[in-house]
Amino acid sequence: MKRFALAGNPNCGKTTLFNNLTGSTAHVGNWPGVTVDKKTGTYKKCAEPVEIVDLPGIYSLSPYTPEEVIARNYILDEKPDCIINIVDATNLERNLYLTTQILEIDVPVVIALNMMDEVEKLGNKIDEKTLEDRLGVPVVKISALKETGLDELMTRAYKASQKARLGETVLASSALSHLIGDVKIALKGQGVENPLFHAIKLVENDSIETEMHKETLPMIEEFKGTFEDDVFGDDFEALVADARYKYISKYFAPTLTKKQEKFSLTKSDKIDKVLTHKVWGIPIFLAILFLVFHLTFSEDLFFLGKAGVFDKEVVAYTATQEVVSEEDFEPGAIYYDEDGNEVEAVFYGGEFVELAPIPYAYDKAGNKIEAFYDKDGNELTVLTNDEGEVADLYDANGVKYDAFYNADGWECELVLAEDGTFEDVEFVSEIDAFRSEISVHTFFGYEESVFSPGVILFNAMDTFTGFLSACMSQAMANAPAWASGLVVDGILGGLFSVLSFLPQILLLFLFFSILEDSGYMARVAFILDRIFRRFGLSGRAFMPMIMGFGCSIPAMTNTRTLADDKERTATIRVIPFFSCSAKLPILTAIAGGIVQFFGVGNADLITYAMYVLGIVVAIATVILMRSTTMKGEVPPFIMELPAYHLPQGKALMIHLFDKAKHFIKKAFTIILASTIVIWFVSHFSWNWQYLDDAEMNLSVLAGLGGLLQPIFTPLGFGSQLGSYGWVFVVAAVTGLIAKENVIATFGTLAACLSAGFAANEALGGVDSVVQMITATGITVPALIAFIAFNMTTIPCFAAVATAKAELPNKKSFRMTLLFWVATSYVVATMIYLIGSWWWTSFIFAALIAAAIVMIVLYNKRADKKLRVS
Amino acid sequence: MPIILAPVNKELRVVRIAADDKTKKHLENLGINVNGKVVVLSSSGGSVVVIVKDGRIALDKNLSTKIFVA
Repeated sequence: MKRFALAGNPNCGKTTLFNNLTGSTAHVGNWPGVTVDKKTGTYKKCAEPVEIVDLPGIYSLSPYTPEEVIARNYILDEKPDCIINIVDATNLERNLYLTTQILEIDVPVVIALNMMDEVEKLGNKIDEKTLEDRLGVPVVKISALKETGLDELMTRAYKASQKARLGETVLASSALSHLIGDVKIALKGQGVENPLFHAIKLVENDSIETEMHKETLPMIEEFKGTFEDDVFGDDFEALVADARYKYISKYFAPTLTKKQEKFSLTKSDKIDKVLTHKVWGIPIFLAILFLVFHLTFSEDLFFLGKAGVFDKEVVAYTATQEVVSEEDFEPGAIYYDEDGNEVEAVFYGGEFVELAPIPYAYDKAGNKIEAFYDKDGNELTVLTNDEGEVADLYDANGVKYDAFYNADGWECELVLAEDGTFEDVEFVSEIDAFRSEISVHTFFGYEESVFSPGVILFNAMDTFTGFLSACMSQAMANAPAWASGLVVDGILGGLFSVLSFLPQILLLFLFFSILEDSGYMARVAFILDRIFRRFGLSGRAFMPMIMGFGCSIPAMTNTRTLADDKERTATIRVIPFFSCSAKLPILTAIAGGIVQFFGVGNADLITYAMYVLGIVVAIATVILMRSTTMKGEVPPFIMELPAYHLPQGKALMIHLFDKAKHFIKKAFTIILASTIVIWFVSHFSWNWQYLDDAEMNLSVLAGLGGLLQPIFTPLGFGSQLGSYGWVFVVAAVTGLIAKENVIATFGTLAACLSAGFAANEALGGVDSVVQMITATGITVPALIAFIAFNMTTIPCFAAVATAKAELPNKKSFRMTLLFWVATSYVVATMIYLIGSWWWTSFIFAALIAAAIVMIVLYNKRADKKLRVS
Repeated sequence: MPIILAPVNKELRVVRIAADDKTKKHLENLGINVNGKVVVLSSSGGSVVVIVKDGRIALDKNLSTKIFVA
């Protein structure tokens, strides 16, 4: 099969062309060594199928970024049958600079003049026949977006690929032509392929070439000695660049006739006057960012709920139909709701939570069963028979009940208290239990608020996976408890908790793709560069960090835009410190617990402070890394600001599809494996006895937690908590699957710690936390340290897997894991110790100061050494 | 003069680029080469956006003190 490579400047429409040529056959592959997407696909409309390879965007064949090395190596080493050089016709001269270099290689080339529709819209014209004559290779006008000219392009490329072509250069008439000719002959003598290309790169003093052809260097040095140019001296590289641009503007540029000769402000320039404004640029960006996160994660869209749009006073009625308003509720008192059903006012920590209906069983006709009778018409209070099971029950007329129902008419069975009296009803079928929970409020909110699109999607996915779980557990109702536990809680539970994030991650990705495709992201990097430079990062690093507040996974993938490997590694490491949405429940539940139990502080303030803490830790560790192990100059900020344009639906969808595929693949491999392991260790005891959820305290995991417990003593949730201290360790470990598990585990463990405790969902885990505090006697500083530990330690498995894929090598991945463990340990220790004994802050201040002095001194010495040598 | 101080909306010629080789090469690839023509589009707080050929290139403060134009 013939292979055609697509090469061109970044943002010249290469990917659009690729997608339109290959249709849905596109897939993303990884290049060895560096993780930059290379795409291959098949074009089927030629005489034979042609493989199309989409190379990363490049400005020249003298590489600056890792992506450029990949493109160059592909063209030289993999020898495609034809190179389709895509030229952005709206920026003709600059794009042809790359063309002049590609033409020097011995390979058939076809030029695709892209964005012709834009050019014509501006009233400009390009004489492609003349351009074709002067370049010596076919030139085809196309519009990748409007899909015009594509067939002609491929036909001519196919024809060109059948005939070998020798490289030609525009430097033939320059001052260096003799030298280039001589070096070319020398290289040809050595049997080097593409002698012309290599000769010119060698003359340009390209670092890769000078490494490869050391023996030919003296020839150039000798020539350099005799050469003198007024402007460039012996800087051949600048001379070559100048010669190329001169040739382009003399012979190629005139084929373009511009309607307007002088430069003028374009629409994009006018938009930029606002969006990159000195003062307003950053606030505008923050506003856009807020909107993106709000649309993805907010459960109160546009704060309609907070604004009181849905406010409805909770009222109840007394037996005498008097209205009681919320502030007059008494704990435990019985009221009636609008439909006349009995309800109990549930209070927690002195605050009203909800009106819980008093449970009753109903008969088939939907009548409330006030009393049960035996066969003989005697009223029963104890409903058990001699075997301790529910006895046969009859109504007042002596008719036996076949089945019971709840208030909504779902079939239920009776749940009896220990003394045999009626307590509650429970669904017979788990599917029923699940279905009865679903209402319009599940998806869209609007009881207290409207959900954002992201939350609606999340709920849809969550409901779907929840339904599958319910069906599965129903299907396995007769299987042994361990088997259904493994399948439903272990495998499905783990997978689904990760998969349910997929919609929100994709939505977040969609928003960021829109911002990126429109050209705005380049501006953001530009306006933030000034601030970021102070921390030793370039402006480009900001995007992945901010995405981290949503989810670490897309954030880590986004670091691919960073040119410098060390900068990239440092950025990936601090991304988890930007607390993701899954960590929010840890913050709110524990903060709520602290306020509830100790009566100190304000839950919102604690949550907010923890977010700030994450950012501070990120900045501190970045500065630390950039001045020690990840040292390096911040690369200068040079970025093309592409013209704004509307993002393209098709490209966005392809992008999202790729992301979803990657994510799902990961969920079914590494995440699946790890959830199964965690499930096993938390549900089996040391002697391979299966344990129920409520007996998790006997599990292998609890045992291991107990072993690890002493390690966490400096953090405040170790040995000092006594025999129950392992619960915090175990919760942190289960958080590795997904951070929401931390609070979920609290709920489970709280049930183990105190019999009869059932977490109230409406409280969001606050009561579980309070239960844990009561049982363990943990202190406030230790709780804060626990939050900080969870925030800064190893993130969830999905994020770890992403980090592994994105980091340059295995060693840096291992170091990254170590970095997370160390950072979380140190930060949590500091919080606990300073929080418990304020004077320890002096010790830490001294230690930090000493570390800073040592690093500075060491770096100074290293610098000196460097200068001496 | 360094491009950081250059007047806005005026066609200028690059006379010297005092950056390291790698950066200089990258600038050349983008069209900012000695003898080449640039127009400063905006210059705020040290960062500069220049029009080169038909593209817009943003440069940080440090770099814009190293590109000399006339």
